Amino acid sequence: MKSTSLKILAAASLFAACKPNIEGTAPTKGSADFSHYTAIGNSLTAGYSDGTLYRSGQINSFPNMLAGQFKLVGGGEFKQPLLPGESGWPGAKRVLGPVTGCDGVTSLGPMLYPGARDTAGSSTNISNQGPFNNLGVPGIRATDYLIPGYAYGALLLGGVGYAFRMYENPAVVRPIDVAAKSNHTFFTMWLGNNDVLLYATRGGEGQASGSGPSDISPLPTFKTSYKAVLDTITRKGQKGVLINIPDVTALPYFNTIPAKGLVLARQGQADSLNAAYAPLGIKFAVGANPFIIQDGSAPGGVRQIKDGEYILLTTPQDSLKCAGWGSKKPIPRSFVLDATEVANVRNATQDFNAYIRQMADEKKLAFFDVNTYFKTVQSGVHYNGLTLTPVFVTGGVFSLDGVHLTPRGYALVANKIIQSINDTYGSTIPDVDITKYNGVLYP
Amino acid sequence: MKKTLVLSLAGLALASLAHAGSFQINLQGIRQTAMGGSGVAMPWDASAIFFNPGALSRLNGMEAYGSAFFVSPNLRYVPANSGTTSYEPQKETSTPFAVYVGGTLRKMPKLGLGLGIYTPFGSSVNWGDDWTGKLITQSIKLQSVYFQPTVSYAVHERVSIGAGFVYAIGSVNIHRALPLQFSDGRSGQLVLDGKASGFGFNAGVHVKATDKLDVGLSFRSGVNMKVDNGTATFTVPASVSPLFPAGNTFNSNLPLPNITTLGAAYRFTPSFLLQADVVFAGWKSYDSLKFDFAKNTTAVANSSSPRLYKNTVAYRLGGHYKVNDKFAVMAGGAWDPTPSDDKFVSPDAVDADRISLSAGLTYEPVRNLNIMAVVNYTTTKARSVSYSPENFSGTYQIKSVTPGIGISYKF
Repeated sequence: MKSTSLKILAAASLFAACKPNIEGTAPTKGSADFSHYTAIGNSLTAGYSDGTLYRSGQINSFPNMLAGQFKLVGGGEFKQPLLPGESGWPGAKRVLGPVTGCDGVTSLGPMLYPGARDTAGSSTNISNQGPFNNLGVPGIRATDYLIPGYAYGALLLGGVGYAFRMYENPAVVRPIDVAAKSNHTFFTMWLGNNDVLLYATRGGEGQASGSGPSDISPLPTFKTSYKAVLDTITRKGQKGVLINIPDVTALPYFNTIPAKGLVLARQGQADSLNAAYAPLGIKFAVGANPFIIQDGSAPGGVRQIKDGEYILLTTPQDSLKCAGWGSKKPIPRSFVLDATEVANVRNATQDFNAYIRQMADEKKLAFFDVNTYFKTVQSGVHYNGLTLTPVFVTGGVFSLDGVHLTPRGYALVANKIIQSINDTYGSTIPDVDITKYNGVLYP
Repeated sequence: MKKTLVLSLAGLALASLAHAGSFQINLQGIRQTAMGGSGVAMPWDASAIFFNPGALSRLNGMEAYGSAFFVSPNLRYVPANSGTTSYEPQKETSTPFAVYVGGTLRKMPKLGLGLGIYTPFGSSVNWGDDWTGKLITQSIKLQSVYFQPTVSYAVHERVSIGAGFVYAIGSVNIHRALPLQFSDGRSGQLVLDGKASGFGFNAGVHVKATDKLDVGLSFRSGVNMKVDNGTATFTVPASVSPLFPAGNTFNSNLPLPNITTLGAAYRFTPSFLLQADVVFAGWKSYDSLKFDFAKNTTAVANSSSPRLYKNTVAYRLGGHYKVNDKFAVMAGGAWDPTPSDDKFVSPDAVDADRISLSAGLTYEPVRNLNIMAVVNYTTTKARSVSYSPENFSGTYQIKSVTPGIGISYKF
């Protein structure tokens, strides 16, 4: 009997001795309380991807990834206002597929999801399923938070009712009121992007300071609104993370079509353009030339695009290839972000970010400088065999709309947010495994 | 027929993480393994063909020898900043083996002749297709078998020399996920599969310095294992398949290092002996792992993964006690530092400084027939390292218990 148990003991210790005994470190929450997490923000918080919102995009939102990690340190349930379908709502998502251009050439490119639409029930108000932990509303600006009936207004203005479907009393409620009802102990707030982005993605056609849907929000209004939201969600001393606004000109939306994208193969092409533009003194040569763009202040209303100006991803490829856009005809100004517009975007981004930073310091909150981070991503981020870059389609970070992220890109952001939380609150929340999240999918 | 034999031998020779620096395997003799891997100074048996060709001519007659080990190392990886997540590769057992036939001729006792077939290098790790490092490696299998005809001659009553020509064959099989995803989210995959071969030599000197002290020195040359026209199979989504030409092949080479061993054996009593070796391994030749593809495209570029190995010096010590005419027991230990750099430890070649302890016994049931058994325990401390080109960092640990058996017969 005794010798049997000794033998078992000996066998067990031999077995133990030949197994590695290294263990990871158990996650800890530090000085923060993650039991009830609420995410405040826009499309980036909602999990918007590929030009629309769809269920798996929401499931792969960075707040949902964070919530998964928070569960390791006492985090609770994280409820999202999930859409019923995968095809995208209200518009179809973009997928990679064979796209045949006007020149008859078929190549792999972004196209609208060709499958059946599964949007039934998407517009139903589901506020009775709330309260939701992810309050991200695609399209919302910081300045929209103080507007009564924003959700209803956004719907009537041609907005798609993202807020409408999740807010109680959407006709009267202000987004800040919805945030005020949240019973959170921890929050993330990534707000302000649309206060600049909507101006930029519409080619800078709005005002450099205004409240229209294509304007840059006025700095005082931005500050008032941002502070009001932040005061509301920290009124019980809640801890959280502020995330700033990335320079939108770092996005593939502005960098995929090169400014010097007018490639002339033959001297004859250069000659005929030279003849046509001789009165304006614009010259062309075989090889890469700057595109011709519309500019009211230039002689003849057209000029060559300059370095540091951007052509939008939404510029119709067929018009560039077959309709003479950028060469015989100028690219319309709504598809171009010119130097003045770029300066407006940069200045506003800088001002808004300075304020966000100031707020983070004042309230002693964690802060993630995604603006600086995205600039470092330009040269490529290596992670477990992945090389992630901001290049459209192949870079793996940005989805097929050129602005929003892939699940993999959101995972990259989630880990940086976790890092800033750990640094600020002394927690040891583990990273998410970026390789488990999809980049761009190929047919 | 002959080819079949060679292939089946290669199939047996899967090797492992368990023994000695990196993908070197120090399991070429039962007695020596039982004595911490030491053995350059003593002609214990026909395994002298491997340990010191110079000592072969000190054998008393001819001998046939065979041994095999059952290697199933335990490896664990804890990624950095991942909480309690950990990964262990699939459990695999490989059987490095050695076969030696050789010794001295009755009519010419100063001349030793022999042939050795053994597996000095190899590695096999299978992390699975869907682990966090899948884009670096899913599985890797490196095998090698050395064939070594050997001549040895006692040039003096106290000094003998010997050398063998080494013909090495081997194979490489690598599975790796590609960062191109199918529409269902599955990753693409690259499979590299090829046969390798190379040449080298093994030479040694054995000196009976006094009646009690033996000294040995051996040099095993580096062998550049070349893979020519291995197959490179890319599994990728159809829309990008034109970028990955079918029927692609690759060339590569793996420089197996030279090994210099100096050792001594001292008989304290007629039945008790201690021996020790110092082993220098020229790993510096392994600077990077390169794959050159026959068909390059914008998506298929030649690859080079830096390894930046360093030369190492290992120490081995063992004792042998003859209990009686039939039994002998052995024990020993070794310190094997890793050649790998802290910033270049890839999950396809996990390594760390190893401490190894072993014990064994031999039994001679009838005259000239020996049955040998050994068990070896090898462990590493937790090693926190990275493969910096891919920002792949974490902590690794290796432990293994390896039994081995052998048989020899003098004729």
